[in-house]
Amino acid sequence: MSHINIQTKLGALNLQVQASFASEIIIISGENGAGKTSLLRCIAGLQDCAGSILVNEKLWLNSAAGFELATGKRKLGFVWAEEVLLPWLDVAHNIQLGIAQEDKVWLRQVCEQLEISHLLKRTPAMLSTGEAQRVSLARAIYGKPSMLLLDEPFSAQAPDIRARLRQVLKAMQQTLAIPLLMISHDTEDAKALAGQHWRMREGKLLLNANKSSRPMVHIP
Amino acid sequence: MIESLVISLQLALTTTLILLLIALPLAYVLAFQSFFGRTVLEVMVALPLVLPPTVLGYYVLLLIAPDSFAGSAWAFMFDSSLAFSFSGMVVASVVYSLPFAVQPMQQAFRAIPATWLELGKVQGMNIKQTLRHIILPAAKGGVLVAAALSFAHTMGEFGVVLMVGGSIPGETKVASIALFEFVEMQQQTEAAQLALILLVVSFVMLSLVYSVNRKPLLGGS
Repeated sequence: MSHINIQTKLGALNLQVQASFASEIIIISGENGAGKTSLLRCIAGLQDCAGSILVNEKLWLNSAAGFELATGKRKLGFVWAEEVLLPWLDVAHNIQLGIAQEDKVWLRQVCEQLEISHLLKRTPAMLSTGEAQRVSLARAIYGKPSMLLLDEPFSAQAPDIRARLRQVLKAMQQTLAIPLLMISHDTEDAKALAGQHWRMREGKLLLNANKSSRPMVHIP
Repeated sequence: MIESLVISLQLALTTTLILLLIALPLAYVLAFQSFFGRTVLEVMVALPLVLPPTVLGYYVLLLIAPDSFAGSAWAFMFDSSLAFSFSGMVVASVVYSLPFAVQPMQQAFRAIPATWLELGKVQGMNIKQTLRHIILPAAKGGVLVAAALSFAHTMGEFGVVLMVGGSIPGETKVASIALFEFVEMQQQTEAAQLALILLVVSFVMLSLVYSVNRKPLLGGS
């Protein structure tokens, strides 16, 4: 199990989130400015916050004791809402950034699943926004992270590939057996993927509808 | 004439190489870190831009004089004087051209998107790896501009090298000083040739700077 209990003030936003989750997929939705991205950044350690973060029994943050695990030591997969690819590296090198040991089999597997195998030699400037987004996702997954934090990872995908990507993401999350937090406004994502669905407003979780204990009511 | 040009080129090359090594960490801390005394450091780096070269030369001369700490340490190690030597001119040139190396790098570092640096953290890269694989490739244009400006500015020095070097033929008499002496002695042909060469060198260096700056600032190849 993982537990987060964090607080931080960012301008007008007062972020206060307390939640527990297993190695499952959590969909986070809410209006702009509700603090969804800030929440992911706090968990990643890219944003200062107070409180505690415990991921799969490993301590990442305990501000009361003055302990904070550096972002680089958290073994994260992170996908930003905007494109973050280094323009002077080709796709293959972007995906393997910072990882010393090349795992060819795993790389091929990830790239095939995300339908980017034909793009490995291209530079980011030669990619469509959808392709660039899938490359970012591949980079996040390739490092075999202990947690995936995805900020609207399918926003630039066409509907047909989006459906396939959902299945891929779910399979990957199960293979890696890690928690996956994903910001999404697409109700289909929540229907297909969510173990938990967090709705946020003004920095707080409105409703934590846990499918396993409290089945969410879907209106077809 | 050729002799003075060779000395100028040697001085400019040596100074540029040393400057890149010194300016890189300075630009890094000034671009990315906030600390006590940051403004003072920034002002000190920028000072040579506005100081009369003779003032700078005077202080460098005090610093490297045979009875100073640096001067006597140098004399002890190399059994020669730092003042009125090529090495002394290098010290002065490095100080004199420091802002021309630091500022373009600092600006290029600051222009790197914050997410690229976050990417380095997320991917578990340490400072050295981030510098090598993200910061320097991203700021390549700024580093090139820093090198070109340091080189051109050193080639164009006059007051500082005259104060510190003393215009010793074959050792510290650089092209800009040789030009001055040609004019003084009314050797018009030599003066015209040397002036033209210095003009062309500066023109080429600045063309390089402007062509780099016209390209997209980040990640240009």
